[in-house]
Amino acid sequence: MSFKVVLAKECLDNVRDRRALISSFSLAILGPVFFVGIMVFVLERALGESDDAIDFTVVGAQYAPQLMAYLTQQNTNIKEVVSDTPKDLVSLGKHDLVLVINPNYAQRYASGGINTLVLIHDSSEISSTRRNLAQLRNHIGTYSQTIGLLRLQLRGIDPSLSRPIITKELDVASPAARALTILASLPYFLVLVIFMGGFYLAIDTTAGEREHGSLEPLLTQPISRGQLVMGKIAATMVFGAASLLVFLISLYLTVPFVPFERIGMALEIGFAQLLPVFIISLPLILFAASLLTVVASFAKSYKEAQTYLTMVILVPTLPLLFAQLTNVETTLAIMFVPSLSQSNLMADMIKGEDVEALHVLVSMATTTVYGAILAWLAIRLYKHERILG
Amino acid sequence: MIHVHNIAKQFKKVQAVKSISFGAADGRITALLGPNGAGKSTTLRVLAAVVKPDGGSAEVAGIDVVKDPTAVRKKIGVLPHNSGLYARLSGIENIRYFGRLQGLSNALLEQRIEALIDQLDMADFAQRRTAGFSQGQKIKVALARALIHNPQHVVLDEPTNGLDVMATRALRRIINQLKQDGKCVLFSSHIMQEVDALCDDVVVISQGEVKFDGTIQAFREQAGTDDLEEAFIQIADITEDTPQ
Repeated sequence: MSFKVVLAKECLDNVRDRRALISSFSLAILGPVFFVGIMVFVLERALGESDDAIDFTVVGAQYAPQLMAYLTQQNTNIKEVVSDTPKDLVSLGKHDLVLVINPNYAQRYASGGINTLVLIHDSSEISSTRRNLAQLRNHIGTYSQTIGLLRLQLRGIDPSLSRPIITKELDVASPAARALTILASLPYFLVLVIFMGGFYLAIDTTAGEREHGSLEPLLTQPISRGQLVMGKIAATMVFGAASLLVFLISLYLTVPFVPFERIGMALEIGFAQLLPVFIISLPLILFAASLLTVVASFAKSYKEAQTYLTMVILVPTLPLLFAQLTNVETTLAIMFVPSLSQSNLMADMIKGEDVEALHVLVSMATTTVYGAILAWLAIRLYKHERILG
Repeated sequence: MIHVHNIAKQFKKVQAVKSISFGAADGRITALLGPNGAGKSTTLRVLAAVVKPDGGSAEVAGIDVVKDPTAVRKKIGVLPHNSGLYARLSGIENIRYFGRLQGLSNALLEQRIEALIDQLDMADFAQRRTAGFSQGQKIKVALARALIHNPQHVVLDEPTNGLDVMATRALRRIINQLKQDGKCVLFSSHIMQEVDALCDDVVVISQGEVKFDGTIQAFREQAGTDDLEEAFIQIADITEDTPQ
């Protein structure tokens, strides 16, 4: 088969193009590094927030020993100071959050009056103070409510009378959920990496070949246009597949750095997950190579082809961004859409969820058909004299 | 043997070739002589089965270029007007690529490469990547690539363009050697002196039509002048104002 001759030559030629090689594979190598980096950063922060003690300073702690005992029991880190001008403690920047307890606290408490506690903070400062403030306010509120309830009970009144409505918050943005949000962008990378891998080769074998004047002598050779174009598409596929492989290896090496176990998640990225991902990607690799080759064949110059292909890469990745934002469910209908079907299946596979055999079959079959149609289009283009430009 | 019968070719609105007929015999060097834009390259492209003629027919070794282009491509070696080499491949790799496309066996291919390197005196640079080759070196590699399958017919499109004196001489020697080997050599040129120095037969093309077809002696006789350039201008029926 003479397409192998073309395939071998195009691979050798592209491997020697250092610049194209670097830009083709940089995303595949560095993508997972960034991905894992962001993941670790977000998780560390999320985990840190729920674990960290609340830092604050108290002026007049001696006036409210019971309150202080309650606060100490919470996850707090309290500094006690004596000061006549507590406002200055914050405005001079020495303390971030100061709780001021009045000297007559105990007396008012005993008489059942209202006690006003002052929380001094600087809202123009962006720091963890905001979180500390909210949590401290919560703790004091809870304490105040408990006292109130006790007082009502002592007077023989049902405490629920004073609370006709209560709200309860349930924050689903657990660290695990945040991790999943980031994880959802992984298939987007997978698709992009496949297209980037063949990007330069598709240009070099078509518009580039014509620009360098090597297309015409090539067309004087006794090789059918079908074999010729198949060789070129196959070479683009090799680099698309290589790029994906590099990406998966990079992912395999970097993912263990994410502290999944700390958020109670088990994300295993091993051979058993990556091999199916690679297999369902094969039709997409054909699709990408054919699409890039067809479009680059239309371009008159290397530059023009670069412009076209940059736009082409947006086409299969935009639906992914859309799907990610709108949270598209995995349905049979989606399996007919190249890139969207693969990204959905990949997402499920990486999460360790079961995928339906029918879905896999439809995705692989339809994408292969689209890829074959595009390849056929490319061959038709090359049969036309216009290809000489 | 190459035969061209009344071929015509139009590109969009430009009638590149109106009606061209001629023949080129084995063991002879035939020149397609004409000004720029006369239709020389288009005629050669038809012979290399790269473009199809709108009308007429062309045969290489008795095979119709439209009916069986693949068979024609095995019988013909083409040197394009720019060398069209792959810059990141070495000279040998460029030649080997075309040899494989021609379907040569590995043993035969390496043997041919060795012979061509020797014949074209390329030993000094054949191993290097072609980026940075001189024009003469590029033409040699491109020629070796065109000759790798030892074709009976060799078509060269303005081969001496951009070559210096020594490279031109070397190329002439090679073309003469091809003639000695009994090949049918057809080359295009717009330089009368070059045609005179090299060829046996000359076909003058101008504005897409054949203005003269015969031996170089007949050409001189018809023009009735020893000034070759003047003869060319007269026969080609061109003036300095002729739109090209």
